[in-house]
Amino acid sequence: MDTSNPAVIVNGAFMTSYVGRRVRTVIQVVRADASGVTGRSTDEKQIVVKGHVPSPLTTFVEVIGVADSPQSIRAEIVTNFGDSFDTNNFNQLCQHANGDYRHLFI
Amino acid sequence: MMFSESQFDTGSQIASSPATAAASRDTVGLVPLTIKQISEASHSGDDKSNFVLSGADVVNVTIVGMVSNIVERNIDVTFTVDDGTGKLACKKWVNEPVDKLLMEEVKEGIYVHVDGHLKSFRGERHVDVFSVRPVTNFDEITFHFVACIHNHVRTSKDQKMQGNGTTTSDSLNSTPHTPIQNGMNGSKSAPSSQVSIPFSVDGLKGFDQMVLAYLQLPENYGNEKGFHVDELAQKLKLPKNKIMESIRALEDEGMIYSTIDEFHYKATSSS
Repeated sequence: MDTSNPAVIVNGAFMTSYVGRRVRTVIQVVRADASGVTGRSTDEKQIVVKGHVPSPLTTFVEVIGVADSPQSIRAEIVTNFGDSFDTNNFNQLCQHANGDYRHLFI
Repeated sequence: MMFSESQFDTGSQIASSPATAAASRDTVGLVPLTIKQISEASHSGDDKSNFVLSGADVVNVTIVGMVSNIVERNIDVTFTVDDGTGKLACKKWVNEPVDKLLMEEVKEGIYVHVDGHLKSFRGERHVDVFSVRPVTNFDEITFHFVACIHNHVRTSKDQKMQGNGTTTSDSLNSTPHTPIQNGMNGSKSAPSSQVSIPFSVDGLKGFDQMVLAYLQLPENYGNEKGFHVDELAQKLKLPKNKIMESIRALEDEGMIYSTIDEFHYKATSSS
């Protein structure tokens, strides 16, 4: 087993703390083109995703990659998460995974 | 949701699981864990075949993550699951046609829900898979991590109780200490007043115990109005804010309830 390269669960706000690190988040797609995706994080912030994305995209996608700024991710993997996703639950999970229970994740 | 899959599990579970694990498997259920947590579990037992995490046995685990490195062989399929906290090898023995059907759905890059037996072979940990299925509702991933946190909170609470010495480890093992188990046990035989006893020690701090013990005294339990918070503070010689904290904790546990107003409380059962 290997825990050397984790991807931290983040929302828009937590991106700031992990610039240069591997992160994972779920966004609602606002606009997609050849260069990537612009989306809205679960805490209503804009996130730009650069890199290869699957086609077609569903309403929600998960992005795993390196945060190269507080608002953008260089994507390694973009996964379709379907057209309905509980963003509030995910946002709460972000708080826990970066708060008291951080040690369970990274 | 663990049980919803049991109908699929039964066949392969018997076929693929070693006899040595059978005894210990009865003691704990499926434990939802992050792979980071699994990496931190330590070995226990003489043959080092068992795992312990935060003092609790870990035998069967649930993990949810993305599949990679699928390798098919004659009698088994191995793959890696990455849940974002780490990567863990999984092995599914393929004995029956149904196992083959199950594995046909598992493809590179998809998210799967895996239930299996945590094992160690030549120092490497892996999951001996009972059941694996693709995740189709992605809220399940959020749910899994919330379940991991919940499980962690519950087991740490149990540990804290043992540490405090409010109860011996023997009685901990013999008395049910989760509400669900309690409910199941209670429905069998125990009268309701006894069922509440494990509750009364479950993770409650010293002050909580004092407040509860006072309210449960038979002469106080008889008081229909209950007791005013100020009176409790006075009688127990505790600061009011501590009383309020305990009141909230006890109310959450269903041990006490408010009576004529939000300042009067009464125990749900007598001591």
